[in-house]
Amino acid sequence: MADDLNLLSNDAFRERWRSWLRANYPEEWRIPIIYRLAGDDERRWHRMAYEAGWRAPAWPKEHGGLGLSLEKQLIMHQEMERHNCARVLDSGALLLAPVLMKYGTQEQRDRYLPHILRGEELWCQGYSEPNSGSDLASLRTSAVLDGDEFVINGQKIWTTLAACADRIFVLVRTNKEVKKQAGISFVLADMDTPGLTVRPIMNLADEDELCEIFFDNVRIPAENLVGELNQGWTVAKALLGDERIANGAPTLSRQAFEVLEQMVDGIGLADDVGQADRMAQLYCDIQDLAALHAQVADAAIRGEVDNAVLGLMKVLATDLFQRVSDELLRAADEDAGLRTPVGIGGVELDLRKIYMIARPSTIYAGANEVQRNIVATMLMGAAAK
Amino acid sequence: MGWRLDDELQQMLRDSAVNYLGTAGGPDHFRKVRASDSGFDAATWAQMGELGWTGILLPEAVGGSEMGLGGVLTLAEELGRTIAPEPFIASAVIAATVLAASEADIASTLGRALALGQRSVTLAWQEQRGTIGIPAFHTRLNGTALIGTKRYVPGWHADAALLVAVTDGAETVVVAVDPAAPGVVVHPARLTDGTFGADIYFNNVAIGEDAVVLRGQAADVALDLAIARGTVALSAQLEGLAGALWHMTLDYMRQRSQFGSNLSDFQALRHRMVDLYSEIELAGASWRSAAKLLEEGAIRGSAIHAAKARCSQVVQDMGKWAIQYHGAFGYTDEADVGLYVHSGLRWSTWLGNAVSHRREALAAHRRERALNG
Repeated sequence: MADDLNLLSNDAFRERWRSWLRANYPEEWRIPIIYRLAGDDERRWHRMAYEAGWRAPAWPKEHGGLGLSLEKQLIMHQEMERHNCARVLDSGALLLAPVLMKYGTQEQRDRYLPHILRGEELWCQGYSEPNSGSDLASLRTSAVLDGDEFVINGQKIWTTLAACADRIFVLVRTNKEVKKQAGISFVLADMDTPGLTVRPIMNLADEDELCEIFFDNVRIPAENLVGELNQGWTVAKALLGDERIANGAPTLSRQAFEVLEQMVDGIGLADDVGQADRMAQLYCDIQDLAALHAQVADAAIRGEVDNAVLGLMKVLATDLFQRVSDELLRAADEDAGLRTPVGIGGVELDLRKIYMIARPSTIYAGANEVQRNIVATMLMGAAAK
Repeated sequence: MGWRLDDELQQMLRDSAVNYLGTAGGPDHFRKVRASDSGFDAATWAQMGELGWTGILLPEAVGGSEMGLGGVLTLAEELGRTIAPEPFIASAVIAATVLAASEADIASTLGRALALGQRSVTLAWQEQRGTIGIPAFHTRLNGTALIGTKRYVPGWHADAALLVAVTDGAETVVVAVDPAAPGVVVHPARLTDGTFGADIYFNNVAIGEDAVVLRGQAADVALDLAIARGTVALSAQLEGLAGALWHMTLDYMRQRSQFGSNLSDFQALRHRMVDLYSEIELAGASWRSAAKLLEEGAIRGSAIHAAKARCSQVVQDMGKWAIQYHGAFGYTDEADVGLYVHSGLRWSTWLGNAVSHRREALAAHRRERALNG
């Protein structure tokens, strides 16, 4: 594995990754859509990938990543999808690391990146607040400088997998006197800092991944500030930019469609004309989104980033995932009302859970209505008030 | 252009097309052709010949420019943006693909005239409503006598050269037929894009051996390729139309004020415009993906069907909302929006409508899935 993966042909690269997955990916994790690696499972996965030389494909080599071309990164995603791998959040490598590379100090990078690489530390993202969801910039959790420490007070909510995380990156208000975007800073905190408490929230999919976090005079070293004081909004926006490419992928829709096909075959509905027409619509929607995603990714490889289409793909992908999950329930008739896995055509499927897992995707990472506003401004200019 | 990419040849062709169609094409030209008796403007066709467009798929030996599918698609986009009523796809793509596969003298003669823009050529293959791809033919060549009926023959006008795809009972044959020959009866009908289609009846029409363009497997292969190319090109043309209509609608929304605000400032309308733009982006990606696969030789997969389905759908969706957002003015013949909607009706339903192509896409996917277990 010492050789440069970038020098392999795409086919050879794909084959190497695929056979490694086959030989090493734990069988019990192969529950697509429904299962997400959390806590020790997630740590184990990053560690496995690290030891085998597959960790952090997008990171530049100078930071310990693979420095893979976007094309090869996409191949890795495709093969994980094909292998029915579980979802994985990996907030540290995907969301925080690009920020540290761009805005962090050398000391911050040296301190945090190696632990992310080796799967020793998991991170969570402290953005949303009870009164600041889509209007994120209105956030009120405050950090006040006191000597060489920040003192944080306030509350975050909808923080995914906070209960399993070792550390958190947080947006805090450091200036209340200026325009809301201009008074925000980006800071890092240990989850075991005194005064920080986590309360998991049970969601509609029977998961407790989403959490509330309370900050009660939480003191963190001033050196935990990333970027300049009050520049947190710029730092955070850079991070969301990276997130959006992943959010536009048709992966979940495609996996849910495969489940739908198995189920429709199992029930014997495949030749029903109405069913087939609905399937045809979903199939074409998935194909076309995949075509758009691939071409937008190709353009990104060439250095052409089209911000409007990135926002649109998030809307398209999440709306589509919901429509596929809607169709799963429609095809199941009365079995859609079961709170247990549904046994249809020899497949055990928890349809309700898939349906519920699809719900928040149109809300998180910028609610779809907000995305439409942002894209409308790009395409049509700002709306006069 | 955003994520869309032109190669050097495509960029050159696009510049030339934008330049030419900017003055010679568009709504005024459309209205002129729509008002003409023939539905065909020979002078414009000849100019497209001079530009190398009519011979874009023809070999250099007959005066073609051999610019390939990439060039075809760029032109189709621009012709769509300007709702060109010229039979570019029917003649320069579909009929030309058949001619280019033939070494018969008649194919060279027709190819030469097509490349020069002296004539347009049309292929009659369809026999029933709602056909996707090349059907099994009932029109027969019994020895030297042609018998049967072709329907929905595109790009029809009195001077069009006619190719007819038939069976001789054993194999497929493509023959050139003189529309003025005894036994040929043509029933033309005006289409919504200003051109004519025709149903053509062949009552024991005499066909000589020198009229045979293609025969057997070569004919089957060329016909399939012709329809596949035509379908992808028509998809690109539809997407071009939808994009132009989106921008035309936005321009109107920016200058039309009600309740003290421009229409382009109302959030409900902005969100709809964003969704329509999304669908156009999907359409652009879909036909490009299909074109790439077609150039790699994939004629039977789901991609071409997905592309025609998406591009047909987006034109109909965009058309409805373009009228709505133009308000009562959008319902007048004076407004250009209606010309786009009318062109879109013809193009989105020709070569298979959205629902039919979606079904075909799923069917192709299911065949593939069955093959791969």
